[in-house]
Amino acid sequence: MPANLLPALDPAPLPGPPWLFHVLWLLTFLIHLLFMNAVLGGTLLAAFAGPRSGGRDTKLLLVEINSWAISLAVTFGIAPLLFVQVLFGRFFYTATVLVAWAWLSLVVLLTLAYYLNYIAKFRLRAGKGASVLLTIEAVLFLAIAAIQVAVNLLHLQPGHWQAVASRVWAALADPAFIPRYLHFVLGAVTMAAALLAWLAVRRAARGGDETSCRAMARYGVRTALVATIVQLADGFWLLLALPEDVLRSFMRGGALALAPLASGIAATVVLLVVLAQITDPVQQGGRVRRVAELIVAATLFMVITRHALRALYLEPARASEQAAVAPQWDVFALFLAVFLVCVGLTVYALVRAAKDRPAAGETAA
Amino acid sequence: MDYPIWNLAFGGGVLIGIVAIAHVLVSHFAIGGGFAIAVVETLAVRRNDRAWRDLAKRSSLVLILVSTVFGAISGVGIWVTIGLVQPAATSALIHNYVWGWAAEWGFFILEVVMALLYYATWDKVRPRTHLLIIWLYVFAAFMSLVIIQGILSFMLTPGRWLVTRSFWHGIFNPTYIPGLALRTGICLFLAGAYLTLAALRERDREARARMVRLLAAFQVIGALLAYGGYRWWEAALPGSVKALFAGAQPIITALATTRHFALWALTTYLVLALFSLVAPRAQRWPVATLALLAAFAFFGGYERLREGSRKPFVIRDFMFSNGILVSEVADLNQRGVLAKAGWAALENDGTPVGKGRAVFRAQCSSCHTVDHYLSIRAIISPVDRDMLGSILGTLRDEGKEYVSGRYAHEGHIATEKLDYPYMPPLVGTDDEVAALTDYLMSLKPAKVAEVSHAR
Repeated sequence: MPANLLPALDPAPLPGPPWLFHVLWLLTFLIHLLFMNAVLGGTLLAAFAGPRSGGRDTKLLLVEINSWAISLAVTFGIAPLLFVQVLFGRFFYTATVLVAWAWLSLVVLLTLAYYLNYIAKFRLRAGKGASVLLTIEAVLFLAIAAIQVAVNLLHLQPGHWQAVASRVWAALADPAFIPRYLHFVLGAVTMAAALLAWLAVRRAARGGDETSCRAMARYGVRTALVATIVQLADGFWLLLALPEDVLRSFMRGGALALAPLASGIAATVVLLVVLAQITDPVQQGGRVRRVAELIVAATLFMVITRHALRALYLEPARASEQAAVAPQWDVFALFLAVFLVCVGLTVYALVRAAKDRPAAGETAA
Repeated sequence: MDYPIWNLAFGGGVLIGIVAIAHVLVSHFAIGGGFAIAVVETLAVRRNDRAWRDLAKRSSLVLILVSTVFGAISGVGIWVTIGLVQPAATSALIHNYVWGWAAEWGFFILEVVMALLYYATWDKVRPRTHLLIIWLYVFAAFMSLVIIQGILSFMLTPGRWLVTRSFWHGIFNPTYIPGLALRTGICLFLAGAYLTLAALRERDREARARMVRLLAAFQVIGALLAYGGYRWWEAALPGSVKALFAGAQPIITALATTRHFALWALTTYLVLALFSLVAPRAQRWPVATLALLAAFAFFGGYERLREGSRKPFVIRDFMFSNGILVSEVADLNQRGVLAKAGWAALENDGTPVGKGRAVFRAQCSSCHTVDHYLSIRAIISPVDRDMLGSILGTLRDEGKEYVSGRYAHEGHIATEKLDYPYMPPLVGTDDEVAALTDYLMSLKPAKVAEVSHAR
């Protein structure tokens, strides 16, 4: 690649030390990923839920979760989008411009998928079917995931840019594309399935219809088990599909670099064992809860691993990069105060809404 | 200029305009609508009025569908679009304002969760809790406007930031407060117009008239605030910006027309709102719909005006609309524009025409296409080589004016004194300018070229 295809570093200094952006990026991306997993996996589970998997109850529960989770996934996606632009803007913008139509189409696909979810919700509440709508919604979310994975791979590899500029489909020819895409989709299905099982167990404990809750919980546990088995194999495929120099640098990184990956794999293996031990999820609520915890832990370790790999991918292109730093601490303090106050108010309102119920004879809002 | 350029037949600016106008309509409605619903439900609780409550409940689903779905996603859409069309400008904004945006994101979390919670808790919680939720929503929604207005207005009037590079000087720029007043008025009148339509579904005539009158008050106050804010905004603009669309001989007539159109739309809206206030019983859906359309027309017109009057900059006095910084004009004149524009330089096949194509791609294609939007072929078809050379020469000389500071005062450049006040200057070496001339002449339709030559 000609050297001057890599855009120059933005002349403005970074408004904070890089480590701060990395930390905030990781935290907000983790939250985004948890909601995103619930959305993508939940939509797939809802689309495939048959009569033996809780049928309409399963579908309705999942679309109701989605009507919140889609909004929150979008909202928590904004922060990582800000931080990637601060730290790696020149790589990120170039990659998106090279696949501009696909990148722009994300907005349209997301809007359609969200509205389909609302239509499905209202139809299911009215006792009507929504399988076709949910299938289309699932396809839309799968397409969004594919575009995200393609752009992420492309921004990591300036060496691929010229080929993609000549032929946009070359963005999908990356050997890591399919295993990485599968990795995200399987992770999403596993997490949404565990969430479904956990909510079904809670619903049964609160007096919900036991047959329906058991069917839902079994559907969740069974799906999570199968997805995790495939995930373990796919994880190794993804590792081997990394560019040779990246893989070599990664393996030579020592215990500190490999610890998150090793922890993630260990959490996944334990997850597999716990899932295999669940025979009746409604009776084994503690184990179902453990499954959810292990998935969050594995996701955290994989997010850290992904971030470390990004640095290795971009190492050659950033070798001479010397970004000036001029921290805006006063504005950062404002952000932190606003963030804490807003999160505090959000939690307060949620708790109050969950507890506040009109007494007998009192009118509700 | 450093980035690959996305070739859009209808122009990148038009795409940004479409996405931005759709987003601002929805996002301002989300603020004003939330406020109007909060007032309506507060009145319903205080007066124990079922009809008011039903109006708030009916409107809240639209608020959710519009605010948390379309508003949120189109907001991301703006990011996606400006990143694709103006990556360098987006990067500049991010580097200066990322903490501002992050603070806005904090408010956005509160706003989205409160919107979802408000709709989900109808008939479930006590009225006090429900009111708390909607007023928190109103607070968060308005605060996000308070922040984002600083960044939006900065792009047109960066003010002292040009000298100090201070975040606060950039945010509290000369058009910040006027624009905030204007946008607050817009929020109110959009909400009043939409909720009037929702109120007209009420069957009880007395209740309907009460609602229409209250919402008409929103409309009238909103329209007057918007008008005052607009005039204040105009008064706060530098002369060189105003010269583009106001005064006896506006430089860009299309923008002057937009201004007239917007102000007439606002007048129409105000008349319809006064009618609604004076005769609420006579209010019917065609009139309410017309008012809503007039509200859209004014707002769309204002946004078009605000975006258009940034020419020739994307960030006034700092970065031109083709991504070239004012501060790098002298360097690019010396080194050549293709030394920096690596992606555009790929189109240079070594011939003069190929090199010219690359120069065109680097400097002109952010606004002009060859055959579609602002078609360069159509623009140069009546021009012969001598005239073209003279135009390009003037455009190049104007770059020196930006550098010399002859027309500059405290970082602000009096573009109206230039021959091409809405075009970025042409930068590059003599060789590149000659190549651009060759390329542009090669685009001329053969017949016209022959006629010009014969003359």
